[in-house]
Amino acid sequence: MNVALNRTVAEQALGLSLPHRRMEDWRWTDLRQMIDKPYPPRQKVAAAVGDVARLLASSLFAGVAATRMVFVNGHYDKKRSKLANGMVECRAEAVEPVQQMNAAFATGGARIVLTGTIDTPVELIFIATDAAPRAIATRNVIEVEAGASATLIETHLGEGSYLANSVTEIRIGEGARLDRIKVEHDAADAVHLAHTHVTLAKNVTFRDFTLTAGARLNRQNGTYEFVGEGSDAKISGVYLLAAKQHADSRLVVDHKVPHCTSRELFKYVMDDHARGIFQGKVIVRPHAQKTDGKQSCNALLLSGTAEFDAKPELEIYADDVVCGHGATAGDLDPDHIFYLKSRGIPEQEAKSLLIGAFVGEAFDTIAHDGIREALANFAENWLAEHRRSG
Amino acid sequence: MLEIDNLHVKLEDEDRAIINGLTLKVEPGEVHAIMGPNGSGKSTLSYVLAGRPGYEVTDGSVSFKGENLLEMAPETRAANGVFLAFQYPIEIPGVATMQFLKVALNSQRKARGEKELSTPDFMRLVKEKAASLNIGPDMLKRPVNVGFSGGEKKRAEILQMAVLEPSLCILDETDSGLDIDALRVVADGVNALRSPHRAMIVITHYQRLLDYIVPDHVHVLSRGRIVKSGDKFLALELEEKGYAEFDKDAA
Repeated sequence: MNVALNRTVAEQALGLSLPHRRMEDWRWTDLRQMIDKPYPPRQKVAAAVGDVARLLASSLFAGVAATRMVFVNGHYDKKRSKLANGMVECRAEAVEPVQQMNAAFATGGARIVLTGTIDTPVELIFIATDAAPRAIATRNVIEVEAGASATLIETHLGEGSYLANSVTEIRIGEGARLDRIKVEHDAADAVHLAHTHVTLAKNVTFRDFTLTAGARLNRQNGTYEFVGEGSDAKISGVYLLAAKQHADSRLVVDHKVPHCTSRELFKYVMDDHARGIFQGKVIVRPHAQKTDGKQSCNALLLSGTAEFDAKPELEIYADDVVCGHGATAGDLDPDHIFYLKSRGIPEQEAKSLLIGAFVGEAFDTIAHDGIREALANFAENWLAEHRRSG
Repeated sequence: MLEIDNLHVKLEDEDRAIINGLTLKVEPGEVHAIMGPNGSGKSTLSYVLAGRPGYEVTDGSVSFKGENLLEMAPETRAANGVFLAFQYPIEIPGVATMQFLKVALNSQRKARGEKELSTPDFMRLVKEKAASLNIGPDMLKRPVNVGFSGGEKKRAEILQMAVLEPSLCILDETDSGLDIDALRVVADGVNALRSPHRAMIVITHYQRLLDYIVPDHVHVLSRGRIVKSGDKFLALELEEKGYAEFDKDAA
């Protein structure tokens, strides 16, 4: 039975109910409690030209992406976008709390049809300028046509205090390849809620990498559905969390057909009072024989007050499959540190080297050299800056 | 160069002494072999000199080039010229051997106030040193010691030594796990580093290694102290009689 709760200030401002910890999928991330200030939606915000330019320039991929769609405070910015064929603005339509919120007040989004072999990466960049606290929602639909091959970047960044809600639907056609890179470095005081749904047809190659470094509160849902045989998906991510950052990822990989392979690899680096959560479920449906599905998440806790929770689940209804999961959490190995120090490498540098190696495995899943280097540099700078202050 | 005086060491969380009144003096250019049965304190001595955490010095002193070695952090000891070739080199996944060598060398140079080596200069240096140890570019690209065979690990240790050019080399059971061919390559590498300015402490259980790395002095370690010292012939005597006799002396 649903208990009617009095709406919180945030819920009143949003005009809808937020998920809370009595819902199993949300047990670690009680949005009802954690979103503790009002973020009214649909507010028209004037964005200073200088702010927009600065934020756009701070995308890691300013030098990588040739075509990009730009969204400023949730609204499509035609002037600053550079479109290729098959890219048009997407309007919101309307099951899941993040999606419901998105459907209630999405202001824009991209609709992209990717055809043929696209050599240069396509970037969708969502920036939020500093203004009164408000909710921003965008919805994207990406269609990768049969036989196509493309790299799609999704960058989220901003300044100030806001709630960003991002819903993305991706359909990958037969024999296509999609490399998707998402970078979440929203403002330190922002909330980032995302829902991504990916459908894979026959013989698809899909690479998905997410870097999560921004926002005080982050919740990312990802659903990956295999609907055609012979497809291969590698889903990976790196989390760089400090202060009181909270990042909760809920992934469902659904093998509905035989002969597909999925790999999940997630690396969390956490300092201070950061909290990381990984909820990963692999479902193998009764007919999905010869499924090969593995998931692993590893957390490196750099402080005694950081916390990591993992809930790996396997739901297997087929009998001829190879599936597994592993989760680890711990500190750096003191033997490793001593070995590096015994060669003259100072402690801080030794630790940075080891943390770099820890996250490196996930970065290695990125095929595009320029993108991998941009992300690895970002991680290196984060570590250097962070270890200095820490 | 190195003066160990009446050194007493125990594990931090145990009371039993492992090094029990050890005194040893090593001058530049000398090669000292330290031999002893398992549990005599050989590896503990090497770790204490390198600064591994977990050990507590309860008495005595160690001075290196006139300074108190025990007060220095491990990385400072390294920059000042101490190098330990590990009995069991540590595997470090994700850090390429080449990158590791470069960071190590430049950290040491920086600590000594020297200019860091440029990438081309560094590459040239490593390639030259690696070639004489049968280490190819493939091995240098692989993560430090990960998936290396026993022989490859020991050769990689000697390569690090050759690149870092320490003034005191401590070789802890460098012969363990090596067949005769691998032993020869490693010994040649070590011998190439012998110089009037560099001292070596070769820790070993067996005399075999000392056929290839001929020491100036041989010491027998038993129950944490040196019970007998001599020249290279002492090693042969040990090989013949075993350690039992010296254990009696120590007791």
